[in-house]
Amino acid sequence: MSIQDILLQQLANGLILGSFYALVALGYTMVYGIIKLLNFAHGDLYMIGAFIGFLFLSVLSPLIGDSWVGILCSMVLSMIAVGLLGVLIQRIAYQPMLSAPRLSILITALAVSMILSNAVMAFTDGEYLAFSTDLGYEGLEFGNVFVTYTQMVLVGAAALLMTGLYLFVHRTMYGKAMRAIAIDQDACRLMGIHVNRIIALTFFIGTSLAASAGIMAGAYYGSIHFFMGFVIGLKAFTAAVIGGIGSIPGAMLGGLLLGLLESFGTQIPFIGTEWKDVFSFGILILLLVFKPTGILGRTEIERM
Amino acid sequence: MRKSLMLTAISGAVAGMFLFGQVMAADLKIGIMVPTTGSEATSGKDMENAIKLAAMEINEGGGVLGMKIDTMTGDDACDPQQGTAAATKLVSADVAAVVGGYCSGATLPTLKIYGDANVPFVIAAANSTKLIDANMGNAYQINSTGFDQVATAVALFEKKGAKKLAVVHQGDGYSEDLAKLTREKWTAMGNEVVAYEVVNKGEQDHSALVTRIKSKAPDAVFWTAYYADGALLIKQLRQAGYRNLIAVGDGSNSPKLLEIAGKAAEGVYCFSNPTVDYLPAAKEFHANYKKTFNQEPDAYAALAYDGMKLMADAINRAGSTDKAAIIKALGETTSFTGIAGPVSFTDKNTLARSNFVTLIAKDGKWALSE
Repeated sequence: MSIQDILLQQLANGLILGSFYALVALGYTMVYGIIKLLNFAHGDLYMIGAFIGFLFLSVLSPLIGDSWVGILCSMVLSMIAVGLLGVLIQRIAYQPMLSAPRLSILITALAVSMILSNAVMAFTDGEYLAFSTDLGYEGLEFGNVFVTYTQMVLVGAAALLMTGLYLFVHRTMYGKAMRAIAIDQDACRLMGIHVNRIIALTFFIGTSLAASAGIMAGAYYGSIHFFMGFVIGLKAFTAAVIGGIGSIPGAMLGGLLLGLLESFGTQIPFIGTEWKDVFSFGILILLLVFKPTGILGRTEIERM
Repeated sequence: MRKSLMLTAISGAVAGMFLFGQVMAADLKIGIMVPTTGSEATSGKDMENAIKLAAMEINEGGGVLGMKIDTMTGDDACDPQQGTAAATKLVSADVAAVVGGYCSGATLPTLKIYGDANVPFVIAAANSTKLIDANMGNAYQINSTGFDQVATAVALFEKKGAKKLAVVHQGDGYSEDLAKLTREKWTAMGNEVVAYEVVNKGEQDHSALVTRIKSKAPDAVFWTAYYADGALLIKQLRQAGYRNLIAVGDGSNSPKLLEIAGKAAEGVYCFSNPTVDYLPAAKEFHANYKKTFNQEPDAYAALAYDGMKLMADAINRAGSTDKAAIIKALGETTSFTGIAGPVSFTDKNTLARSNFVTLIAKDGKWALSE
């Protein structure tokens, strides 16, 4: 493999990794945008999405197989289920804390994160579950660069979801309401917007996007584990900060950028792939020091 | 305070009398040291069963030197402190010899206790290389150590005509040790290690590593760590179009690896301690074990069984229950063949040959290679 091949291959790998980051980062940024909460349980909802998808797939696969149709069906079902779970968590854990100091709600989010991951650990005995799907390894070869069809579909699905979200936020009344709440909640209330309902909707969309990423990751990598949401939660947070937290296009851009940075960064000679996480979190620290508002963020940002 | 001291003294004396009484009644007392409680209890009890089965068979065949074997179990709970307590208990019960040892960490501190008492000790399963240095000359390891796994691995790579090797570990003591030893041995043989990489535990996306490995075009990739992450690496290597040999160390010897990696695992090699499933000579033992205990023997049952048989063989050859004589006889073992294969020892009291077997993944199952 020549150096160009390596770079091209890493471009493809970075895009795949970045798509996962972007999907999870979107939920982070949406929730932050609307109620200024860093929802640290977000990574765990990604994990729950994978487990619920796994459950649906094992129920559905005798009927419709465990290939694309089966995965798509269980993905939609899992997105709905986890979206509802997200709303439930918001109602039980976050709603009563909305007027409390910001630190209290942040700690609540950490507690939710622990409850979710420990519950799954208890149910699965901390075991790895094999996500057995029937996706092949066929793909296209561009010189020495190899991309499987599965990988292309994953990136395509992520792009589709993100475009859909963008259109939803910018072309519908609900989206307009979300953007309005991000600017001024009290004014929205006076204008007759059901603020709580819109917040619930935001949680639903945000968590179901994380769930979609979770089940895609499960199907693609092949195993799921109660701890799988932890690191990706932090990475998504990093991605959201890179893009400018609170900004939806920023989260997409930040996710892709982080994926690419990791992919290319780990190919630098003498830096092993074990430095991948150091690389991303190093960038997070630098960014927080020098440009805390992120790429697309302004101090007076229009959130969402 | 004084009263409770008195009580302790009396109960101690009573317990001592009780133990003494038992020793008098027994013909030949053999200690079993395994974890029968704690996280490793399943494996420990399995070894205990296997040792007891061996003792039963020996007794049915007339015993050792005309004496019947009576076993006594000390529970090390896979914990160094508990191990010390178990060893002290066995030594003070004046056992003629000890068979067992599952967890290396728990076995390590007991070597001094058995050594000071000069008790012959056959270590059946524990195989850390640290045990070699702590051995005071009375203990014998019948399970191969990490060095032997490297020898078996390197032999396979050479047989398959590999020249360039990629080694991947996870940075923990066990997998790094195996990786380092493999690299040393492979380069000493005049071959090349083109990639020597570490991955973080729990990492799901190995694409960057896979690109790096692929760009070095190795003839073989050796994963020295555990099954869960290894399965993901195997899958992603195959997905990226790497077609050459992949081998995994004994930490990855699990059906779960095949389940997670699916089709990608076909043809992957794995090195394993001799477990009952892969030993042609273990058929009879397997059947007897199942009949006696109504369950399947676990990974180290075969070695535990061999350990007891070897001890009886050594006592027979020594012709007495004198501890020094038994230790000498153990060291001189040349013609003993257990179900896990022939046993003889190096000058460091470790098994003279590698008892690692090479497995290959076939149709979603591990099978003996060749």
